[in-house]
Amino acid sequence: MPDGAIIRVQGLTKTYRPAVRALVDVSFAVRPGEFVAVLGTSGAGKTSLFRCITGLTGADAGSVMIHGRDICRVGGRELRAARREVALIFQQFNLVRRLTAIQNVIAGRLAQLPTWRVLARRFGREDRQLALRCLDEVGLLDRAYARADRLSGGQQQRVAIARALAQDAKVILADEPVASLDPESSATVLETLRTVAAAGVAVVASLHQVHLATAYADRIVALRSGRLVEDAPTARLDARALGQIYERAGVAGGRP
Amino acid sequence: MTLASSPARVYPEPAVAWLSAGRLRFVGVVVAVGAFYSVSWQLARVDLAKLATGLPRMASWAVKAWPPATAELPVLALRAAETVAMAAIGTTAAAVLALPVCVLAARNVTPSLLLYYPARWFLNMLRGIDSFVFALLFVAAVGLGPFAGVLGIALHTWGSTAKLWAEAIENIQPGPLEAAAATGASRLKVVAFALLPDVLPSMVSIGLFWWEFNVRASTVLGVVGAGGIGQELKNSMDLLDFPRLLTILGLILVMVTVIDHTSEWLRRRLE
Repeated sequence: MPDGAIIRVQGLTKTYRPAVRALVDVSFAVRPGEFVAVLGTSGAGKTSLFRCITGLTGADAGSVMIHGRDICRVGGRELRAARREVALIFQQFNLVRRLTAIQNVIAGRLAQLPTWRVLARRFGREDRQLALRCLDEVGLLDRAYARADRLSGGQQQRVAIARALAQDAKVILADEPVASLDPESSATVLETLRTVAAAGVAVVASLHQVHLATAYADRIVALRSGRLVEDAPTARLDARALGQIYERAGVAGGRP
Repeated sequence: MTLASSPARVYPEPAVAWLSAGRLRFVGVVVAVGAFYSVSWQLARVDLAKLATGLPRMASWAVKAWPPATAELPVLALRAAETVAMAAIGTTAAAVLALPVCVLAARNVTPSLLLYYPARWFLNMLRGIDSFVFALLFVAAVGLGPFAGVLGIALHTWGSTAKLWAEAIENIQPGPLEAAAATGASRLKVVAFALLPDVLPSMVSIGLFWWEFNVRASTVLGVVGAGGIGQELKNSMDLLDFPRLLTILGLILVMVTVIDHTSEWLRRRLE
């Protein structure tokens, strides 16, 4: 296990009723600045893993330590504080469609903003400048005032990354960030995540395309039927390992 | 080679019994529905003979009603405005009251199921009692006049609007809400930032629908003495003053048509 890990998953187990074993004793750790790809077939437990790491779904056993806080053991204010360190990127982008790109980026600061500002949707100059800086970082400064639903899929995903930057997250979790994008947009989005990781953020992204994982990730972690079957630097991933991940995928897998 | 011209082969098919469970169920449903309507026909005392003798009487009223009385038009127009005002104030009051309750009554954003169920029951109770009935009670409590009508409309619409709003909230995509919650924001901020922009247009649309509905409903409220054009309608009917009645009916028709079109136009612009 690497030292100085920002996120440390230990023995994570999740079973959905009646007896779907989504995660079985999963352990791994991620360092700041690392880009880790999570591979596995649909139903291998990738989404469950991400939901447990953020506390959107409660785990049955195990722990997720983020900056010394166990996400599985805290609630309320503590959980919200822990969540602030972790930004989520979703397959469906999950922007608020009727708000502009810059407003969606400011959403990353939601936890810190005074309530009245959120209610009135009036943000200070500092917050607006920060949001513009984040949009510039993902190459979307010229689309700052476009409504989210007027942006292409790739652009929406980059707005979501800008939101993660505005959140000042130490960890970015991306659940199939490019699954609904064309190859070109996929490359741009992963390129952006790569840049973000280089700046010292830990990026964990589940991917369906092995060639994208090998092209962009430093390390590859693989799940099969809820179990961790691979955890190795990208260079060491060979055909044998791939066979183990994808061939005759287990029928005991969880939901997608 | 197409499928149609391929060599014949008989594929086995499941046998269907002449007296299958499905058929029995179908017959059962037909009998039950038939019984329901024949009982309803008896209870409703439908008597076509009475209609046959009553229709010519109505026709003679129509003849007597022409030409419509125009002398009182300004007064009647004022009473019609009273009806629109009752609906507007009642619906707005209902909307303000519905706003906090609809958040409690929407399963996906309610802070606790301990608040969700009481909120639902409360709204169902308000919805179950028609504004007409509420107005009847308020006429006794606060006296005759449009204010009783406003209170009646407000209470019934409170329940109806909040329920429809809660359903609109329950139908939104959970994704943006989860994304906002994942930033560590409190529930109030999540609702204000991620939920409101999404549901606001349909909430306004629902509010406009109820205003429109209440204009139509409040013409009836006058009958119980709760003011508006309905009260004049009842007076004319009691006095068998048909020319005046015709004027009032025309006025209601114009008023409802204008409101319907305005509201529809506004709602279309929201999409």
